[in-house]
Amino acid sequence: MRPQIPSRTPDCGDPEHRRHRRRFLQGLAGAGVVSTLSWSGLFSAPAFADQARRAGKRCILLWLTGGPSQFETWDPKPGTETGGPFRSIPTRTPGVHFSELLPRCAAISDKLAVIRSMRTGQSEHFQGISLLQRGADERPPFTRPTLGSVIARQLGRLDTALPSFVLLDPCPEGNEFKAFKAGDWAGWLGAEYAPLRTGGEFRLPDVDRLAEIADADHEEREALRAFLTRRYAGERDSRAARAHNAVFERARGLMQSAHLFDLERLPPRDRERYGPGAFAQHALLARSLVEEGVPFVMVANGMPWDTHVFNHEIYQMVVPELDNVVYQLVQDLEERGMLDSTLVAIMGEFGRTPWINVKRGRDHYSKAWSLALAGCGIRPGVVVGETDRRGIEVVGEAYDEKNLFATLFTALGIDPHTSYDLPDLPDFHLVEEEAEPIREVLV
Amino acid sequence: MSGEAENREREIRPEAAGEWELPSTVHDLSVPAGGDRAYAACLDGGIYALGLGDGSVELLHRHGSYASGVHLHPDQGLLLSAGYDGLLRWYELPTAEVVREVRAHDFWSWQSALSPDGGLFASVTGRYECGGYRYEPAPEREPSVRVYEVATGRLRWSFEHVPPVESVAFSRDGTRLAAANLMGEVRMWDLVSGEKVAEWSTPDFTGWGIIKGHYYTGGVFGLTFGPGDRSLYLTGMGTTRDPAAGNGRQLWQEYALEGEGEEAVRMTGQADEDETGTGLMESLAFHPSDEWFVMAGRLEAGNWNAAAFGREDGKLRFSLNTQSRLTRAVFSEGGKALFLAGGVSQDGPDGEGGFRPYGRLGRWRWEGA
Repeated sequence: MRPQIPSRTPDCGDPEHRRHRRRFLQGLAGAGVVSTLSWSGLFSAPAFADQARRAGKRCILLWLTGGPSQFETWDPKPGTETGGPFRSIPTRTPGVHFSELLPRCAAISDKLAVIRSMRTGQSEHFQGISLLQRGADERPPFTRPTLGSVIARQLGRLDTALPSFVLLDPCPEGNEFKAFKAGDWAGWLGAEYAPLRTGGEFRLPDVDRLAEIADADHEEREALRAFLTRRYAGERDSRAARAHNAVFERARGLMQSAHLFDLERLPPRDRERYGPGAFAQHALLARSLVEEGVPFVMVANGMPWDTHVFNHEIYQMVVPELDNVVYQLVQDLEERGMLDSTLVAIMGEFGRTPWINVKRGRDHYSKAWSLALAGCGIRPGVVVGETDRRGIEVVGEAYDEKNLFATLFTALGIDPHTSYDLPDLPDFHLVEEEAEPIREVLV
Repeated sequence: MSGEAENREREIRPEAAGEWELPSTVHDLSVPAGGDRAYAACLDGGIYALGLGDGSVELLHRHGSYASGVHLHPDQGLLLSAGYDGLLRWYELPTAEVVREVRAHDFWSWQSALSPDGGLFASVTGRYECGGYRYEPAPEREPSVRVYEVATGRLRWSFEHVPPVESVAFSRDGTRLAAANLMGEVRMWDLVSGEKVAEWSTPDFTGWGIIKGHYYTGGVFGLTFGPGDRSLYLTGMGTTRDPAAGNGRQLWQEYALEGEGEEAVRMTGQADEDETGTGLMESLAFHPSDEWFVMAGRLEAGNWNAAAFGREDGKLRFSLNTQSRLTRAVFSEGGKALFLAGGVSQDGPDGEGGFRPYGRLGRWRWEGA
């Protein structure tokens, strides 16, 4: 839902705002950004101190849209009524077993942290995606920024050619995820922190300079634009102009960095290692982008984990691909000396039911599910929480989205309880209710 | 009136004649002559003997994963089973003692079949692994089709296919074997020479995901040879933009086998769109008279999940909705009864923390007018 922006924002009805907003969004569309973007954050003062911008820290989110089954991944229950057809296998972590579909992750379990005691309150896709992307329930009319937007704001730099938040998602559809993708990712942080979406059919369009424009002409045009911009800004205080300029700089940045989004330029040997599938290829691209300095990259592929039908038949294929992707990614980051500064999160919006439905599938389940983390700020080789014998309930303390977001922010060196500096808006924090991080998975 | 014309006018009126519960969904069923017992391979790994008179359920053995196949040998003294643990087992009856076990595959036995004379036991396997950007299946890592001698347990044939291979059937005379996969590819071999005698492909049973995920689902889930082995029938689910929704058309297709080689195979019939709804169909069975064949599966949208079609004209003659997923349709010897096996949703625990039985077997008295 689009927020009702307070009166001092550009949605206040001023015709200038509307005109420039239209042009601004046209510019974004030309740069390949498809989200509907909030306007208000562009004009707020910097919300956080620079010290929160932790140099070199990055995050890759492997977003398993649809809700991955914990039984076929991190919390297998073989031999029980709910266990499904797959066995479990031991890992490098004593006493810990993963699904047999994750042999490579089992081999690097000493580099992963698994949380088996997630319990969240939304079991429908759109609401669940929103909850696990934003870290809090919706509170209309305000739109909380997503994890990627917050991290882009916290760790990104506006004075760089690179985008701060890249969404790699080669599948254009995805049911409710498609609807979410079309919505407002950046919320009150504003358009600068919305994702640049690319991958598959979403290639960056129109970022090559026209052949008939020579380098010198290009520079002269830019010099003239900059001169006029400065003069305009000197004569009046226009939020719309500032926003337009910010996006213009981003578009220029994309022109300079478009080659970084080209799968074809990635080393063939690496492409082979990651595997041929679209998700794997884009996970490799994510590695490349964080190496280049992009602070937040999210990799998705439609909604393949939503297996109401053919759960086991589909998981026999998608889980091994994930297994290899996680293995290659974590190993690569470690070999490059980047694992300590790059947080890898592997999760979806909820888990799946212990019981099998009549369609050979598992349905949505948010009462007891799992996810995995690795890298920056994460204690390796731990498994936090447990579920009962059949995976129906969390045994002991359960964690929700607020605990998770507090964990992710803390791991990246960001104070999760920081307030947003949002004039005219209620007092919001990165994580509400002073929710505690999950201490056991933090270094 | 010719015999064929007479067949077209015959009506059938199956009547419900019994329903039984099993602990979990039935994947395969074998009904001995006499009809007082049935053997079921179930999702919980169990191979069960079900007393049709008293409703007793006896666990004979358990596979290490889902049980996928159970076959009573024609001499009635031997039972064979297959499972997602990749194992094939031989049991001596009536003790149900395991007398042989063979590791046939590194992955699931998706389906298995016993030759009509009981001499050969075939099983198909294959993991769907990503082989391309669009998630095309990767080539097989192990032979997808294996055929064993029942008497000795010796491997007679290993045949190549593209995994996952989901269905397998012997010809009625036992000289040929057909197997079909996720991608709608059908291969057929001569069991005397071991030569592949036919290979063809249909795009009609496979869907490439557009809505949810970019991968293939579906495939040919059931195969059966027609009268005189002159045709092969396929069943599954029609293609759909969202195969993960399970909403492809209820579909069977008939292919005439008029010699050898791909050119000799041609589609000669398929389910009428006006007579079908949507949902995955998993089983085909011919009535012993060959006047009808039954297709059964799960209903997504429409009116029925099991239906009888006239063999001559392919028209729907009778249908019913069991409100369950059907995995296997089996006619009794002589064709007086139709058994439909499968299950309902497992659902959450009941008030006492257990799971209610969710395997189902129904019997219909089969009467032709």
